[in-house]
Amino acid sequence: MVIMMDEKKLVIEMRNIVKTFPGVTALNNMTIDLYEGEIHCLVGENGAGKSTLVKVLSGAYTPDSGEIYVDGKKYYGMNSLLSRDLGISIIYQENLLVPSMNVVENVFVGFELSNKGFVDKKKMKGYVKKQCDELGIQLNLDKTIASLSVAEQQYVKILKALITKPRILIMDEPTSMFNVEDAGRVLRIVKNIAQKGVSIIYISHFLKEVAQIADRITVIRDGVHVRTYDNSNNDVDLDSVVCDMVGRPVDMFYKKEEHPIGDVVFEVENLQISRDAPPVNLSVRKGEILGIAGMVGSGRTEIANAIVGASRKHSGVVRFHGRAINVNSPRDSISHGIAYITEDRQKLGLMLSGSVTENLTIVGLDKKFKGFFINVKSSVRKVIDIINKLQIKMANPMQEVQNLSGGNQQKVVLGKWLFTDCDLFIFDEPTRGIDVNAKAEFYKIMSELTKLGKSIIMISSDMPELISMSDRIAVVRKGRVERILEKEEISENSIIRYALEVVKNGENKHVS
Amino acid sequence: MAKTNMSVNTETKRFDTKNILRDQRILLFIIIVGGALIVGAVNEKFWNPMNIVAIFQQIAVAGLLTMAMGMLLLLGGIDLSIGNIMILSGCVMSVLLTNGVKLAIALPVGILVSILCGLINGIIIAKSKCMPLIISLGMSGAYFGIALLITEGRFMSFKLAFEGLRTLKLFNIIPITLLIFIALVIVASIVVNRTKYGRRIVAIGGNEKNAYLSGINVDLYKILTYSLSGLYCGIAAILYASRLDSITAQGGSGYELTALTGAIIGGITFDGGKGTILGAFLGVVLMGILSNAMTILGVNTFVQEIVSGLIIVVAVVLSNIDAIRKK
Repeated sequence: MVIMMDEKKLVIEMRNIVKTFPGVTALNNMTIDLYEGEIHCLVGENGAGKSTLVKVLSGAYTPDSGEIYVDGKKYYGMNSLLSRDLGISIIYQENLLVPSMNVVENVFVGFELSNKGFVDKKKMKGYVKKQCDELGIQLNLDKTIASLSVAEQQYVKILKALITKPRILIMDEPTSMFNVEDAGRVLRIVKNIAQKGVSIIYISHFLKEVAQIADRITVIRDGVHVRTYDNSNNDVDLDSVVCDMVGRPVDMFYKKEEHPIGDVVFEVENLQISRDAPPVNLSVRKGEILGIAGMVGSGRTEIANAIVGASRKHSGVVRFHGRAINVNSPRDSISHGIAYITEDRQKLGLMLSGSVTENLTIVGLDKKFKGFFINVKSSVRKVIDIINKLQIKMANPMQEVQNLSGGNQQKVVLGKWLFTDCDLFIFDEPTRGIDVNAKAEFYKIMSELTKLGKSIIMISSDMPELISMSDRIAVVRKGRVERILEKEEISENSIIRYALEVVKNGENKHVS
Repeated sequence: MAKTNMSVNTETKRFDTKNILRDQRILLFIIIVGGALIVGAVNEKFWNPMNIVAIFQQIAVAGLLTMAMGMLLLLGGIDLSIGNIMILSGCVMSVLLTNGVKLAIALPVGILVSILCGLINGIIIAKSKCMPLIISLGMSGAYFGIALLITEGRFMSFKLAFEGLRTLKLFNIIPITLLIFIALVIVASIVVNRTKYGRRIVAIGGNEKNAYLSGINVDLYKILTYSLSGLYCGIAAILYASRLDSITAQGGSGYELTALTGAIIGGITFDGGKGTILGAFLGVVLMGILSNAMTILGVNTFVQEIVSGLIIVVAVVLSNIDAIRKK
């Protein structure tokens, strides 16, 4: 390869990367490149494929096809050892630090420096100190991770990632939990790292932040490369970026049958999750689907948890059928006729080693079985309607749910709540990780529920789903209901603008 | 009851007969029958009806504790103090009897003490959200200490108060204590399989968060189950008393491990939510037969200890075999 002196050196090139998971194409002919010392930002909605792309590069996933060029050398896939040898380091969203160890020890886990067989604490501390000074990080190195703030922990993660002296650093949502000042500090550190010649792939939901630090911005949508913007002069047109993030063809939307909507039945008034949390106000009408939009980590699930009493709330009133109800545990909310279909079916929604019947009857035991005893045969008989209605595919009603497919597992979760005759259904990511056909079946059931006069609150990251199903959409950002969009205001563009806070003053009026 | 229990299972599993050997209960049954045939062939004394009755009588005490442990494991809990709860309950009864208190009072007081011990364990474990293993280990020491204190570390007698229970036999061969044991196995099985309470125990053991979000009062059910386990310990203390007519505070050591082994051999997993009471019963029967067989075949008692220890390890490894395979 001939490199001109004044041209930047190409470090990484990923060409035509395809990665599929059962039922989903996460990356479809994705192409991206990275220059030396550049900050290249990846933006896109939840589930657009950003994280999958960097996981292919770090070796966590093997692509189905496509090529990865590192310094012009071709690879068909990475593994974690190879990517480390090639100088690729990744900082994940999840916390991977040891809470009881101090900063220096955490930075050096697996790479401890030693002197005659003993760990050389002085040398290690000196090294970290020097790194901190160079990057402008202020940190008490003797503190344990548990005693640090979230932002300080992020610094430690950065230091830890730099220990292998990587040439390519991948950061996945490094500032998602931060306030403005903390985020600003992290951004300065990122810039300092890039100035030392390290190439950075930076994933973020915060477009303002991206516009500040990116040299280039690539928009990904549904696993496809949409466009790459040059931002070397920090003058990118964010409106154009937003349009690229959302513009989907019409056929991706589900056609919902319309039916009349009644009066308000459920209200949340000034609900505060904690003392400092912003007050949340929501209302749902009879037969209505209220969508809740927002980026991952925006606090949507926390609001739902507080409503049903699964987590403590600081203050606020919940009104159902015009009456204030006292909800301190999921048991209370169920007794008032509120069903909560949780986000993580395996961890929260199912008893995996239990049978289909057991899972379906767990909530409805009291209502459906009078007295002390239950009879296995009669309980199978009672659930058979639900099984047929939802078309749960299984060998027999006593099959363990862990052996069912994701879509069928999700149907069991829904089924157990249908079994309870609730009036309000709160769905958290109802169709995550299930295939298109199962999704359509879910939408049909939701429509039927609303037709029967039931109300639905639906938290979702799936844009087509939100737009097709919701009668109104509350957009949540940083725990606050940023805006409630009426039916005619709902569009991908309007949702993403409020979710990402890229609403200009003039435009705000226009939308409202 | 055990029979109807099986019939439900054969009906629901009719579709996958291939997997019949994967049902630990059927596997255990085959091992028990096969083992008995082999031992019987080597030494015909084994098949003597007196010997068979003796085997079941020997396991009755450990068997009741296995039922208690089995229910707790299904709940996702564990209680390592059940041996000492039983002994404490027995010691209370013997101290009362020695001091001239009537059996009609000593017995219910002893049972109440065991229920109370289970209740305390349950409350601490449910409300503190700490590991039941550690809590119950600590409580085990405490109950042992109380038993030492009230007996002043001496051998205590039951003054032949349970002599009637020991000698009473059905058809002149089946001891009444054995019938009590079998009856309580059946009760435990019905409770777990056929009552709302039992299904909720299993639901909590299967996925506690899911159970909570499904509106189950998790803490209450935990406390109830530890208390029920305490009740079983109290009844075990009566069987213990009727068999030996004497007790010391040290007598409870090792029972909790036997109970744990029985339940795990029987297919109840450490993670909770999986396994059956019938399986735990077969597990403890298998251990009884094994111990009896080793004695009949003249195996050195020290070697018997080694075998008993290794069985625990083998049972736990086997119960985890699916997880190993998946990896």
